[in-house]
Amino acid sequence: MAEAAIALRPPLIEGNKSIAQVTHDVCAPMEARPTVLWWAALLVSFSLLVLGAVAIAYQVAVGVGTWGLNRTVGWAFDITNFVFWIGIGHAGTLISAILFLFRQRWRTSVNRAAEAMTIFAVMCAGIFPVIHTGRPWFAYWMFPYPNTRGSLWVNFRSPLVWDFFAISTYFTVSAMFWFVGLLPDLATIRDRATATWRRQLAGVLSLGWNGSYRAWQRYEVVYLMLAGLGTPLVISVHTIVSWDFATAVLPGWHATIFPPYFVAGAIFSGMAMVLTLMIIARRLMHLQQYITLRHIDRMCKLVITTSGIVGLAYGTEFFTALYSGSSYEQFVFLNRALGPLFWGYWTMVGCNVFVPQLLWFRRVRANVPAVFLICVLVNVGMWFERFIIIVTSLSRDFLPANWFHYAPTRVEVATLLGSFGLFFTLFLLFCRFVPVIAVAEVKGVLNIGKPGQEAAHE
Amino acid sequence: MSQRRTKKHGKSFEERDATPDALKVLAAEFPKGGPRQFRRRDFLKAAGFSVGAAFATACSRAPVQRAVPLLTQPEEIVPGRSLFYASTCGGCSAGCGVLAKVRDGRPIKLEGNLEHPVSRGGLCATGQASILGLYDSERLQRPWKDGKVTSWVEADREITAELQTIGRDHGAVRFLSGTVTSPTTLAAIRDFLKGFSDARHVIYEPLSNSAVLDAHQKAHGVRVLPRLRFDRAEVIVSFDADFLGTWISPVEYTADYRAGRNLEAKRVSYHVQLEPRMSVTGSKADQRFAVAPGELGLLLTHLAQRIAHKAGVPFAAGEVDTPSLKVAVLDDLAERLWQARGRSLVVCGTNEVQQQALTNYVNHLLGNYGSTLDLEAPSRQVQGSDRELEMLLGELRSGVVRALFIHGVNPVFDLPGGEELRSTLRKVPLLVSFAQRMDETASVASYVLPEPHYLETWTDGEAVTGVVSLSQPAVHRLGKTRSLLETIAAWSGKLKPAYDIVRESWKANIFPRQKKEPDFEAFWERTLHDGYAEVAAAAIRSQPFAAHSVQPILHAQGLDANSFGLVLYSSVAMLDGRNAYNAWLHELPDPITKVTWDNCVSLAPSAAQRLGISDGDVLRVETTAAAIELPACIQPGQHDQTLAVALGYGSRLSARFANVGPQWIDARLSVGDKGVVGANAAPFLSLRDGGLHYGTAVVRLRRTGKQRQLACTQTHNTLTVPNKLAPKGSGPRPVLEETTLAAYLQDPHSGVEDHAEKEDLWPTDHPYLGPRWGMVIDQNACTGCSSCVIACQVENNIPVVGRDEIRRNREMHWLRIDRYYSETASGQIEVAYEPLMCQQCENAPCETVCPVLATVHSEDGLNQQVYNRCIGTRYCANNCPYKARRFNWFNYAHDDQLQNLVLNPDVAVRSRGVMEKCTFCVQRIQEAKIEAKRRGEKVSDGAVETACQQSCPAHAISFGDLNDPNSQASQMMANPRRYRVLEELNVRPAVGYLTVVRNRAQEGMEGSIEEHHG
Amino acid sequence: MNSPALKPSRTQQYLGSPFVTLVLLVALAFSLMILVPKFNAYSLPGNQRGYEPAQPIAFSHRLHAGELQVQCLYCHSGAEKSRHAGIPAANVCMNCHRFVSAPLGAIRAEDELAKKEKREPERVLSPEIHKLYDALALSDKMQRDPARETKPISWIKVHNLPDFVYFDHRPHVNAGVACQKCHGPVETMERVRQVEDLSMGWCVNCHRSVDKAGLDGNGNFTSAPAPAAQGPAPATRRVYASIDCSTCHY
Repeated sequence: MAEAAIALRPPLIEGNKSIAQVTHDVCAPMEARPTVLWWAALLVSFSLLVLGAVAIAYQVAVGVGTWGLNRTVGWAFDITNFVFWIGIGHAGTLISAILFLFRQRWRTSVNRAAEAMTIFAVMCAGIFPVIHTGRPWFAYWMFPYPNTRGSLWVNFRSPLVWDFFAISTYFTVSAMFWFVGLLPDLATIRDRATATWRRQLAGVLSLGWNGSYRAWQRYEVVYLMLAGLGTPLVISVHTIVSWDFATAVLPGWHATIFPPYFVAGAIFSGMAMVLTLMIIARRLMHLQQYITLRHIDRMCKLVITTSGIVGLAYGTEFFTALYSGSSYEQFVFLNRALGPLFWGYWTMVGCNVFVPQLLWFRRVRANVPAVFLICVLVNVGMWFERFIIIVTSLSRDFLPANWFHYAPTRVEVATLLGSFGLFFTLFLLFCRFVPVIAVAEVKGVLNIGKPGQEAAHE
Repeated sequence: MSQRRTKKHGKSFEERDATPDALKVLAAEFPKGGPRQFRRRDFLKAAGFSVGAAFATACSRAPVQRAVPLLTQPEEIVPGRSLFYASTCGGCSAGCGVLAKVRDGRPIKLEGNLEHPVSRGGLCATGQASILGLYDSERLQRPWKDGKVTSWVEADREITAELQTIGRDHGAVRFLSGTVTSPTTLAAIRDFLKGFSDARHVIYEPLSNSAVLDAHQKAHGVRVLPRLRFDRAEVIVSFDADFLGTWISPVEYTADYRAGRNLEAKRVSYHVQLEPRMSVTGSKADQRFAVAPGELGLLLTHLAQRIAHKAGVPFAAGEVDTPSLKVAVLDDLAERLWQARGRSLVVCGTNEVQQQALTNYVNHLLGNYGSTLDLEAPSRQVQGSDRELEMLLGELRSGVVRALFIHGVNPVFDLPGGEELRSTLRKVPLLVSFAQRMDETASVASYVLPEPHYLETWTDGEAVTGVVSLSQPAVHRLGKTRSLLETIAAWSGKLKPAYDIVRESWKANIFPRQKKEPDFEAFWERTLHDGYAEVAAAAIRSQPFAAHSVQPILHAQGLDANSFGLVLYSSVAMLDGRNAYNAWLHELPDPITKVTWDNCVSLAPSAAQRLGISDGDVLRVETTAAAIELPACIQPGQHDQTLAVALGYGSRLSARFANVGPQWIDARLSVGDKGVVGANAAPFLSLRDGGLHYGTAVVRLRRTGKQRQLACTQTHNTLTVPNKLAPKGSGPRPVLEETTLAAYLQDPHSGVEDHAEKEDLWPTDHPYLGPRWGMVIDQNACTGCSSCVIACQVENNIPVVGRDEIRRNREMHWLRIDRYYSETASGQIEVAYEPLMCQQCENAPCETVCPVLATVHSEDGLNQQVYNRCIGTRYCANNCPYKARRFNWFNYAHDDQLQNLVLNPDVAVRSRGVMEKCTFCVQRIQEAKIEAKRRGEKVSDGAVETACQQSCPAHAISFGDLNDPNSQASQMMANPRRYRVLEELNVRPAVGYLTVVRNRAQEGMEGSIEEHHG
Repeated sequence: MNSPALKPSRTQQYLGSPFVTLVLLVALAFSLMILVPKFNAYSLPGNQRGYEPAQPIAFSHRLHAGELQVQCLYCHSGAEKSRHAGIPAANVCMNCHRFVSAPLGAIRAEDELAKKEKREPERVLSPEIHKLYDALALSDKMQRDPARETKPISWIKVHNLPDFVYFDHRPHVNAGVACQKCHGPVETMERVRQVEDLSMGWCVNCHRSVDKAGLDGNGNFTSAPAPAAQGPAPATRRVYASIDCSTCHY
């Protein structure tokens, strides 16, 4: 019965691959010389990375004054980018942990890349809380450690401290999850490797994986446990990030809806980013048969769901403002929609609520370029969401005497570009040196030994 | 200086790690040999290394600090303790009493002298900032001759020789100076000039009030300015006299004015202001009328007519034009004045003799002479004579003047036709300037004999007849300068220190004028201690009022529809330009426009709309005589056909500020394209028929198409949000509360209704077992004069950030004065001020969000900011509803070593990247606490005075322990007018505000205190 | 499809790989920080404990404060009325040293010698005190020498605090805190040495304990009579040491 069900269901991996083929298909691009396309991409993203590095160096050397901030608007690009990247980071854990627990087997061919993306995104995000401080060299004071100040601890009431813990935990767990997942494949690389350096490196990293029954059994247990650990993090991280704003007194920040609103937004943007990358990756590495239209289709469905939640949140914000009866709240939201930054607000609504509606149509979901475009727009929209939340609330708060506009400087823009540079550089290197698809897991979802599948193995 | 320590010092740790023995120890612990494999040993080795490294960091060496005690230490000097020397402010000729706070031999702050009968504890922004001049590295240090440094001996020899020849052939000698209130100096100049057959001492003020004197000359036969007593006046009518801002003696007048408007003492004067531009004084008026500059005279005539009629005196006023003001208004005005006969005061700020004469006439008819105008003990703060100046300029042109001495004025800069004057002055054979800086005039002088800063030398003053004050040095002279007294003495062959000269003249002239002290030594000592002494006023014999001195002004100077009248005024900061060297004052936001680092053309919103001009458009203002290009600044409350430009800008002394502030890729200059700050409007002045005339010239106005964004610390906001964004039913924000006297008398709480204190969720959070510091600001008293802003800047080492940073809204002032406009029922624009500093909230939003506990609550209610703990996340500033926090965006320059001497050693200089804010002058609180502890007492009320409170001429700020029910602060907190800004947020600020109460009946129609006190 | 099982030795090798070492090292460093805060305190940069610079004049506190029992406040009189205890001005030294010019032994020896040589004994001046005279431009005979310039003595500061710390001697001295509590047994030191580490924790902990248990540690909250105590009797004064940040930082 079950077998029949499986048989009826179209295969997750197309072109009925043999197990050996799978290994080959995935490992081949790593063993072959990198393509011109890859070099080009790396060149672009790396130069962006350098640009960003220069900008940050200059800002750290001269002062935060090199950003367009002022005494009214104390945060803008910095925290916007931070929240944006943290958001991106969400899809990975979602796919790898939650979908794993729900036994969504289609995840196998995307989870590896998604997790990698998570880690890189969190790295990008991690930069900003540090460099946005006036004295980055003292940023470590946010970390509670025994000291000679008698002892002077951190302020456990401060959301920034919660942030610190949330993000570091999130990063550690994701990294571990990713690494554990990699072990079998690293061993595969080790064993396939011809060059000594590659064999030794892979050897060290695969922690002496020997594919024995015991290894596999423990691997499964650890993986399951990490998935269990990872799941609550998906919710917790962005909830805590949202508290940076929700616990403040500022109209437009001080809202109880923020945690769910931010989590949904995060998954939304994360999914969009995964799609973007997957679409690039399957082209770059010729993995169309592993990352199939079916994968894209399912992720599109996730995107549109979360888009709906985000849209609802936008509406709710206005309602609460109206219902609160607080003229400050009401003004802030009117100001978002009609004030000096109205264009930003409508970009956000357009990209996050209206554009994704196209995904209701199967034809659109099946049209890869269209999906790609939509996803890019979604990410633009999500960046603007954070920007609008932060800047409009700050620049128009309680005392009209304080109202002042904000405009970014070159340094800020360069820093933003730099973070993208870092992200894509890391991702491209990842594509090159690590199997983008979890070989071992994919093998698990091949319909081998099922009726009508006399696949040529052995 | 900070050389590194040699090996001999700080031995402890080298012995323990870096030295060979230490290495031996390590070696012993990790023996070599054995099969090469990883495991424990390598691990421990690495571990050992990391431990060693940890130790190594311990011997990082701090630079050697040295302590150099005095060889012989005078008894009163204790390192680390401040001494206060009573002296007299030299910022202008008003002669306010100051206490110079001297720390380890250098003055670091000026405090108003509370006992001084003229200033009564207050000090203006200019006065507060004048201390920066002492440490000005561009101040001349030694005499100059033709642009080259020379020696005093040299200069004296040459000049005296020259003077002898001039004396021999009876050449003309002229001494040109600003008002000199020092009797000793005046006498010295007189004696000096006696030596020549043709010599005169010509006095003028760039901001001339010579018309006032001339009018009194005509009317009373004495050329004096009577002392104005605003405290005695119940009705004050001011025709364009900015007596709270810059007119003659603002600190004195503010103190008086406030005394006459004290709700707690049931005294509220009624103040009407008629003026073309919005002045500080106008902003406080109960009724304010924007009138064309050309119409003031006409209005005066109308008023005089009415008063004369009431007095039953014939006033031949022929055919008088009808005024633009409603007749009812004038009638009411006259009626009020008449009701308050002898208790009213009419002042006129223009420099037009006819108008001043009319003013005197009105005051005379009202019998105000002897009560609100004191002719017996007149003021000596104004002495200039434009007529004599005019004559002198004539003489200079004709080239008869052989020797010209210039002291305390800068004619090339502050007189019309400066360029022409420059060349005429060049022709003067002997031109001696006593300027402290190489200003426009000094640069053409043959000799510049720099005077010391007033805190470096001995002199005296008699600003108001009968109140003599001493000015004593608070620091050893920083340069080889010489005071005028000494110079003159040297020329007359008997070189003496200023101290002896002043002392002798006091012994001879001042001492006999008093009876209290029989012994001069005692008198001198007491005066030196108090800073002033009250002596008998020299008898003034004024004649009864001469009615013939008054001619009515029948016509307003007409303006055709699209031409403008120009008003030249002096800004609170720059005055006549004497402060152009002063960075603090350039960065001080103008009380009304809030513009810094520029002067601008202000024009009425209606006019701006008509011509399609918006803020920052560079306008070209032209007359036949002069032209100027300045950015526009739209100014509510200004008369529609009036342009106003501040004098005193565009001085070469401000060229130094080109690169003030942080330098980075996007930084812009703080100066204009001419390389100086602002532009000089003096060319628009006109000196004709015996008077300097400030504007009223018909000028043409056109747009240049250029743009210059004003560095404005506050955009023009009213209390309401933009209409299109105003949520339905939301009223104005409860930011600032105003009410009318009528309403106040019915219910003292009027205006503060929606400011009820909320319940506290954490009532036991802050027990405040000791004192709880709090502040109350009486907005009714506050005139926006901004002296508190500078006082705070001096006290707390607040950096100057420059024009570009202000433009980016990054000013560092801990205390800002929010200016809000509002509109009365009768369509008059009104201004209210809200001095805003950190509110020291009890439930402070900033405290909860700081990740590193850099801002926390103290046990006595302070919201502490710990600079050295701050990492600069700016979260606190974002979460501050008042935006009272300031962030160090850059490392602000402190590289001028001389200027650094003004820094307050009790306050840390903040580094880049940390947050800062008002601390309630915690350093003063600490000092008071410690001293009290030392004496085993509690901190007494008034023992702690914050810098802003101390400096406030209106005594609008009270500070103290709110836990002590008898303290001044808690008394004020209990005042029914008290409210807190944004109280509904329940952050529980420790700063309270008292409502603005306009002396007016409910319906926005006038009404004064008498009516309501049956 | 499994790769062939590896020999245990190889597994071992991998386990001993640098990667593992790195992890272990980090763990060690962290546990050191956690477990040995004291070690931490001594080893942090900027800790000048034990600093003992040579001074321009080899002034001996052991001699003056120890043997001769000169009160600390006699020379460092600032301590009770100013933030800074202050280093005595040369004229304070001269109060004694206009008479005391050398160790007794040296003077006796000179007397002996003089007696032998049948002459008036010369005034003996020890080299260190000579430096003091030099500073004041005095001749050995205590005559002010107009030809010479006076030059202040630039001592080397031993107890240094960062610029952002505003320590004030007054409340401590007036509350009866013994000088030695912070400066160590100065009366036994030839050359003054920094004994305590003067770290914030060290200050704060003392303040805390004083608030809990009083100065002498057994609940005595009334300080010793302060030298310059006017007003109420010292007994009524409660010792209270605030631990607010703004006590030292502003």
